[in-house]
Amino acid sequence: MHELGIVFEVIKIVDGVVKENSLTKVDKIVLEIGQLSQAIPRFIEECYPAAVGGTDYEETKLEIIPLPANGQCNLCGEIYNIITHRKICPSCDMNDFRLISGQEFNIKEIVAY
Amino acid sequence: MSQLKVFSIKKNIHEDNKKVANETREYLKSHNAFLINIMSSPGSGKTTTLVATINGLKEEMKIGVIEADVDSDVDAQAVQNAGAKAVQMHTGGLCHLDATMTRGGIDQLEIEDLDLVFLENIGNLICPVGYDTGAMKNVAILSVPEGDDKPLKYPQIFGKVDLLIVSKIDVMDYFDFSMECLEERVRKLNKDIKIIPISSKTGEGIEDWLNWIREQVKEMS
Repeated sequence: MHELGIVFEVIKIVDGVVKENSLTKVDKIVLEIGQLSQAIPRFIEECYPAAVGGTDYEETKLEIIPLPANGQCNLCGEIYNIITHRKICPSCDMNDFRLISGQEFNIKEIVAY
Repeated sequence: MSQLKVFSIKKNIHEDNKKVANETREYLKSHNAFLINIMSSPGSGKTTTLVATINGLKEEMKIGVIEADVDSDVDAQAVQNAGAKAVQMHTGGLCHLDATMTRGGIDQLEIEDLDLVFLENIGNLICPVGYDTGAMKNVAILSVPEGDDKPLKYPQIFGKVDLLIVSKIDVMDYFDFSMECLEERVRKLNKDIKIIPISSKTGEGIEDWLNWIREQVKEMS
């Protein structure tokens, strides 16, 4: 379970943005988490309150946008979810793809004033 | 109350880690020290392999080891007894080392007079893979008793490392382990990977591994 460390890292980056832009309050943090990233959204949500408790971000909401583990078939060009299709292209049955999304862990944006 | 505004950040969470890792690599290069990150499951023989490595190289290189464990310092003691300079990092439950923690270990080691540093990562096939530590090369160890199907279960680590050591080959006869099967599975994930089978007990393959290290260190300088 390394999600708590990841949440602290998120807060550190957000804190930098807050200072840089002289913001007073952050209403919401929006994360993009890929299906193949090393973080599990449910665990991030569960440890988030513990990470922000007693800090300036105690009332800051958290929104997570999951990004699919999509691959594009190198043979027929089909784009498909490699987890649900167990890597096999649903169109031509081959296992030869290039990953196009799913490894992201981004802070997309913050809503603040 | 002033108006809420959206601030677009679009920043990868690992960007800062990558930055620290790159700085570490530059720092090590400027001191002619080569860092190798070693990852594996618990009990695959990381420390035993390191002890054999130190014994084989200590006459020609000054070696340091950063030991990372959740607790205890038995591994640091073992490599120190073999003749390396060692520091023990405790992650206190955390499952991996990031670049900042690694840098802390390097600073504690005082690398000025070292040629080669090993980072013995936490025994874990999943989490350490996602973090650039600042090492020049990444090595995984898979022991024969763990089975030749590990690349199917934990593809990320085998896809990332530069070298795979297959350890404990002296017990091969007692397990249904096929080196051909393993190699085929690993190559599917990582076509450029080098695979070196070793036994720290009999010494088989150790010289190949030491030669690989010698080449890497030579290439850098």
